[in-house]
Amino acid sequence: MLQQWWLHNKLKRLINNNKLGRPEHLQTHYQYLLTNFNQPISKTDLLALDIEMTGLNPKKDQMVSIGIIPIINGQIQPKFAQHKFIKIQGSVGQSAVIHGVLDKDLNNALTQQEALDWLFAQCQHKVLVAHHAQLDLQFLQQSLRKTGNKSFPLFAIDTLLIDKKRQFRKHQVLNTGSLRLNACRERYNLPIYNAHNALTDALACAELLLAQLNKMGGLETITLAQLLESH
Amino acid sequence: MDNSELQPIFDFMRKLAPFDSLQEQTLKQCCKVLTIAYYSQEQKLVHVDNNEPQLYIVRSGAFEVSTQEGKLIDRIGEGQYFGFSGMLSGEKVVNQVHILEDGLVYHLPAVMFDQLRANCHSFDRFFNQAFAKRLRNQSSLKHNHISTARITNIMSRELTTITRDATIHQAALLMSEKRLSSLIVVNDGELCGILTDRDLRNRVLAKGLTGTLLVEQAMTEHPTTIKPEALIFEAMLTMSENNIHHLPVVKDNKPIAIITSTDLIRSQSSQPLLLIGQIDRQNNLESLIQVSQKIPDLLFNLISSDAKAMEIGRVLTSVTDSLTRRLIALRQEQLGPAPMTFCWLAFGSQGRQDQMAGSDQDNALILEREATKIEKDYFKQLSEYVCSALNECGFPFCPGNIMAQNPKWQLTLQQWLQAFSKWIKTPDPSALLNATIFFDMRPVFGDLSLFKQLQTTVLKNTKNNDIFIAALSQNALQSTPPLGFFRSFVLERDGSEVKGIDLKHKGNALINDIVRIYALSVGIEEVNTIKRIEALIALSAIDKDIAMNLLDAWEFIAHKRLTNQGQQFNNTQPVSNYILPDSLSSLVRHQLKDAFKVIHEAQGTVKHKFLRQF
Amino acid sequence: MDVQTLTYLVVGVTFAVYIGIAIKTRAGSTKEFYVAGGGVPPILNGMATAADWMSAASFISLAGIVSFVGYDGSVYIMGWTGGYVLLALLMVPYLRKFGKFTVPDFIGDRYYSQSARTVAVICAIFISFTYIAGQMRGVGVVFSRFLEVEVDTGVYIGMCVVFFYAVLGGMKGITYTQVAQYCVMIFAFMVPAVFLSIMMTGHIFPQLGFGAELLDATGNSSSIYLLDKLDGLSTELGFAQYTEGSKDMIDVLFITGALMFGTAGLPHVIVRFFTVPRVRDARSSAGWTLLFIAIMYTTIPALASFSRVNMIQSINGPESQGVPHVEAPLWIENWEKTGLIKWDDKNSDGKMFYSNDERNEMNVDRDIIVLATPEMANLPAWVIALMAAGGLAAALSTSAGLLLVISTSVSHDLLKKNLMPNISDNKELMYARMASGAGIIMAGYFGINPPGFVAAVVAIAFGLAASSLFPAITMGIFSTKMNKEGAIAGMLAGLSFTTIYIVYFKFVNPAANVSENWLFGVSPEGIGMLGMVINFVVAILVCRMTAPTPQVVVDMVESIRFPKGAGEAQDH
Repeated sequence: MLQQWWLHNKLKRLINNNKLGRPEHLQTHYQYLLTNFNQPISKTDLLALDIEMTGLNPKKDQMVSIGIIPIINGQIQPKFAQHKFIKIQGSVGQSAVIHGVLDKDLNNALTQQEALDWLFAQCQHKVLVAHHAQLDLQFLQQSLRKTGNKSFPLFAIDTLLIDKKRQFRKHQVLNTGSLRLNACRERYNLPIYNAHNALTDALACAELLLAQLNKMGGLETITLAQLLESH
Repeated sequence: MDNSELQPIFDFMRKLAPFDSLQEQTLKQCCKVLTIAYYSQEQKLVHVDNNEPQLYIVRSGAFEVSTQEGKLIDRIGEGQYFGFSGMLSGEKVVNQVHILEDGLVYHLPAVMFDQLRANCHSFDRFFNQAFAKRLRNQSSLKHNHISTARITNIMSRELTTITRDATIHQAALLMSEKRLSSLIVVNDGELCGILTDRDLRNRVLAKGLTGTLLVEQAMTEHPTTIKPEALIFEAMLTMSENNIHHLPVVKDNKPIAIITSTDLIRSQSSQPLLLIGQIDRQNNLESLIQVSQKIPDLLFNLISSDAKAMEIGRVLTSVTDSLTRRLIALRQEQLGPAPMTFCWLAFGSQGRQDQMAGSDQDNALILEREATKIEKDYFKQLSEYVCSALNECGFPFCPGNIMAQNPKWQLTLQQWLQAFSKWIKTPDPSALLNATIFFDMRPVFGDLSLFKQLQTTVLKNTKNNDIFIAALSQNALQSTPPLGFFRSFVLERDGSEVKGIDLKHKGNALINDIVRIYALSVGIEEVNTIKRIEALIALSAIDKDIAMNLLDAWEFIAHKRLTNQGQQFNNTQPVSNYILPDSLSSLVRHQLKDAFKVIHEAQGTVKHKFLRQF
Repeated sequence: MDVQTLTYLVVGVTFAVYIGIAIKTRAGSTKEFYVAGGGVPPILNGMATAADWMSAASFISLAGIVSFVGYDGSVYIMGWTGGYVLLALLMVPYLRKFGKFTVPDFIGDRYYSQSARTVAVICAIFISFTYIAGQMRGVGVVFSRFLEVEVDTGVYIGMCVVFFYAVLGGMKGITYTQVAQYCVMIFAFMVPAVFLSIMMTGHIFPQLGFGAELLDATGNSSSIYLLDKLDGLSTELGFAQYTEGSKDMIDVLFITGALMFGTAGLPHVIVRFFTVPRVRDARSSAGWTLLFIAIMYTTIPALASFSRVNMIQSINGPESQGVPHVEAPLWIENWEKTGLIKWDDKNSDGKMFYSNDERNEMNVDRDIIVLATPEMANLPAWVIALMAAGGLAAALSTSAGLLLVISTSVSHDLLKKNLMPNISDNKELMYARMASGAGIIMAGYFGINPPGFVAAVVAIAFGLAASSLFPAITMGIFSTKMNKEGAIAGMLAGLSFTTIYIVYFKFVNPAANVSENWLFGVSPEGIGMLGMVINFVVAILVCRMTAPTPQVVVDMVESIRFPKGAGEAQDH
């Protein structure tokens, strides 16, 4: 309860203290979060997100691709799914083994700034969803800084945290790896996707969220406030 | 480079029948437009939005489709579908989908679904089959598939009537009190008219008359009626043909109920009717040909839905009838009205209303009088158009050239009477062959009175004409059911290849022949074999045991023949009337033998009764 | 191979042919159907009808009767031929138009009365029954000779064969089978006749040989005409002159009439005309039928004379002194085994003698003449076997038709329509089978205890038909006035008069069966004609006294008489 109240206030403050230089899209995004704060999640549009990076350290590593897929009216909409590559400095190196993005794929990729603008434009009227959102958001914030912007707080629904809480509530011992995306999906009887790709993972995350929400009492009963996390 | 493609969805769909038959580009498009939802057991039911029909593709989890009453129809798991029934039939989904196990479901919007069906034949067929299977499961619980459901099932039990000498005021009061849009007017318990809202408007109010007018002055006399055992869709046809909305249901001259168009719409689903409706809406030959390509699928669906063979025959024949009528109307739009009254007759299987796959056309014209050269030309143009159009629509030309386009069969009533009387008086083999075709005649279009005169006279001549009937019997007995001396099947061969048992010519056709002999010998007007048998029983013109056995045998053999053809169609084999006994279970073999034995015995009776031999 | 084995073989082969044809036509019929209307050519139909027509009576017995009684026997030929013409040309077209398949149905409808139908049914059964009894005798004779058994045993065997043929057979009524039967019959009949003709007169055609001179032992013409020789022999042996009739003219006239009008009333023959699809075909095949019947009927007198001469000579020897029994030809020995030839050596000289006076020691059954002819002429064994096959074919085709008439009349017209209206069709069929079984047994009884020789028994059947059905049918067609009361009274009067007369002379008091005791000198064989007259008279009288025919029936009869097609053709 306390957390929700704090988040709510934080959002209000963010909107009121409109600092210059913050992208306009982001402002709309905050406004959307606030308006839908106490709405059931079924009424809120979501945007599942996954970012592939060259490594796991936001300070050192760079984003190579972003996949997004919206959830509207409680249904995932592949029609509006998008997948963008981002130019990096240097080579993808060994990380290509994981995300499968090769240097040549990045020839026509967006610049970091273009990628951020695109992403924030997409999420104006959406709430971000990610698995282990913390990491993705940190990268985004880092990227903002790198492109000469100020960093801003970002909010997201984290499917990993949701599951973590659910597992704790059930007093289950968490094993290493039991909160990985596929491990979570398995618990919800969801198929396992092998391809490791930003868009696929975004889809996997979106599906996981739907499964979790259904298990938690349905999209009609859960509000955004119960799910949203600040980073 | 399109990198926004969702590989997992594509991978899944690519392996899924019938999507696997789509082109990659189309499939990608599909993957794009679908939406994904998750259903969990906690929700219990899948909420189906009737306003936004879609195909549910189960990605994971398990579901159960059941009727409103909770009877199980189908279980659905990964890679299976639900929600297509509504889109195929156009009716609201009343079935419930229970969630047995949590899972992901892809939703394919109706627009896309329809587009795929329109563009891909195998896709369309897949879902028609699935639909038919669903219906079969459903009908095994309750036989109310629209095409084969009967008036009895939907008519109200309560009937409000008024006498003809009541006033309009009384009638209006009664109608508003009972919230009715029509009243049946009776005289001594027998139907004499119908009074509808429309009558009150047009014949009373619009003319400024008062409520003191008597009912008999405003009612429609001798309204079109229907029998309770008629099929629902026949009622629909009758209504649309006559542009009326109320049909009194009459049994033994007594009104027992009234059916309104609302009643029918309420019970609607009806692929056949949709098809007939489509046929009636087409304005050129090309589109009619296109529409008629759906006929095989309709047949297949009916077969799969386990409809009775006789009813499938009636349904299919209705489609052919509509097609014929539409074609005549189309041609008349070009040629102008006919120079004289005429009647388009159907013979053979279309006449008997037992058309099946690939039945050829048998038709002819009755003209009012001798045609002049110009008039002859009119009918030549009309009939050649209709016959060749029917040919293109999947009803091949009659190999014996018994067709309206053959000048030999464009005869005046007098000439027809002469032709029939010649066949009856001189029953040589060709006359008897004609008898099996021409004596099963039914009017399809035009002036009914021409047909009636012909039929009445012909039946008068056959009735009690023992010599003709004997010749007919002799002829019918030439062909015997394929049973050997020790009740073994006699298989037909084509060279060394075993073709099997000809269920049509050695089965149903033999029963048709037997029943025709009886029917002509007592002058029964019906031409449908089943209806003939019923009429014969009513007249006690046939042994009831034999008649009932023949009914059963007819249905059994016809049903076997249809399901066999359904399987052949499904396996993309050529559709034929042959069945191999080895492919049947021993129970079915036994039943088939019994059915043939019934025919054998009935032939014995015919031989004794009409040929005085044994 | 001996005669017996050959007989088995030939009879077996001919039956196989009949069955083979039956199966073949059955299988091919649907196909044939689609080929341009198909149909049987009138010439073949003519043969088939001829086969139906030629009963065992005509095949076996007619030549016998002519052979033994000479000129008087020819009344049968005349009567039957005339009857056929009468039937084919004058009655059948009208009956067809009426649309009734059986004679009782016609009478029932025409006289708008169930009772009339019942009376007609009884007449039909009676007639068919008598006729079939004659056939059984014929079959018995055939079997007894060729299986070398007593004639009674032959009848029993024949009963079985006919029963199976009629009840189980699928080969009845199939045109091509009957064509084959005709061929067998005519061949079997003609071969011995031709041989005898060549041997005795040098003419190939027996018809010519009949009027020709006999050859002597050296093969030269002996300038003695066959008939003169026969007349001489007959007078010498105390018989009436062969070419002179012994019967009164009136009796001959009556017998001929009875046979003729009887033929026209025979139910099983009328039905045959209804199974021909076209009236025109019926007429043209009737022409052929007449020709084919004529081939046989014109041979009969010749064959009869040849075998008569042959028989007398082989018994009495060339010098008319008698032949010692030990030297008797083989055929006499063979026929003695059947009991149809008996030798009683009255004067104990060891020699046989045949005559019509006290010198006679022989008892020769007339029915053996045709069958024995090949043996008399020392023809090869296969000819003899063929004769047996022909005789069987004749007996079977006719008796099967008759049995059907009997059994369906009993089951349908008597039981279903009168006595037990509620029986099911299957029961009806069962009764029909039972009736045909019973019919065979009773016919067998009369075959063993014949009231006369085959042709005579058959003649009685014709007499019954003439006296009962013929008038009813004729008046039904040609008079609009005849009513049911008249028809019923007429039929009953005619039938009962004829029956009583016949039963009295043939069964009750056979001793009195001589021309002196006969009414107007008419024999039982010819009394049917008188019965017919009585029928007509009674019918007309009763009709005058009772209510007139309803208008519907009058219209119906008129519509039969005046061809309907004519009126329709005007519209064309």
